[in-house]
Amino acid sequence: MVHGDTTGPIVQIRRRVRAGAEQIFDLWTQPDLMVRWMSPYPGAVDCKASCDLRPGGAFSLVMSSEQSIREVSGTYVQIDRPRKLVFTWTGPLTNHVNTLVTVELNPRGDETELVLTHERLPTTAICEGHTKGWGNILDHLADAVSKDL
Amino acid sequence: MIEIEARKQAASRTARLDAVFAALADPTRRAIIERLSRSEARVTEIAEPFPMSLNAVSKHIRVLEASGMIERHRKGRDHILSINTRSLDEVDGWIERTRHYWEKRLDAMELLLRELKKDHKTGPKDRKHGSR
Repeated sequence: MVHGDTTGPIVQIRRRVRAGAEQIFDLWTQPDLMVRWMSPYPGAVDCKASCDLRPGGAFSLVMSSEQSIREVSGTYVQIDRPRKLVFTWTGPLTNHVNTLVTVELNPRGDETELVLTHERLPTTAICEGHTKGWGNILDHLADAVSKDL
Repeated sequence: MIEIEARKQAASRTARLDAVFAALADPTRRAIIERLSRSEARVTEIAEPFPMSLNAVSKHIRVLEASGMIERHRKGRDHILSINTRSLDEVDGWIERTRHYWEKRLDAMELLLRELKKDHKTGPKDRKHGSR
């Protein structure tokens, strides 16, 4: 796990997807489509999404059941439809620390190669960044990471 | 009360992880970790292969100690460094959970793509039926 010249450990996933890049890009950025696949919580979970699709614009995905409310949110950094989408990401998975997700879509004939990169931001960026202001939600989300995923 | 405890735990876990990731952001420190993952070693042994002063290497070692990734104990006059495998497990844990999370999400995304394709195919056919 400790290798490479990156600034910290990253997770990268590559996948061939049988769809065009435009369609895949829309799944990542249109709220009515986002709610249909992005929620990791099965069962009776109400999922709402909103996004302000411009650099610096915010998105959020709120999943609520009778027991709890969980939120994933972030800010768009780069939007280059349909090839690349970069956004910050904070939620139970990241222990409510800001992280960076890059989705690259490379057309391969009828298919698309999707490369997803999820990385931790340098610590200073985390400190100066957007982790403040989530206090209320944090109260409900304290169980977080290990149990919820 | 349980919530507050859990929140504290999550916060300290986050702080630990941040310290670990910050420590790993430097190639010299990564090399030290790699060396110590093979076996414990004296500070001078650690410093030997690096083209820098013992003092400079010591600074890196202190950062790693502060992050909790390595531990120091004394054997006579020597300071022996060893790796704290628990902190590495935490990093591995984050990577593992994140990978698992996205693999699942991408599975769901592909499933939705197949559904949308099916809708697209059956959609026009239905309309044809309707117009007859």
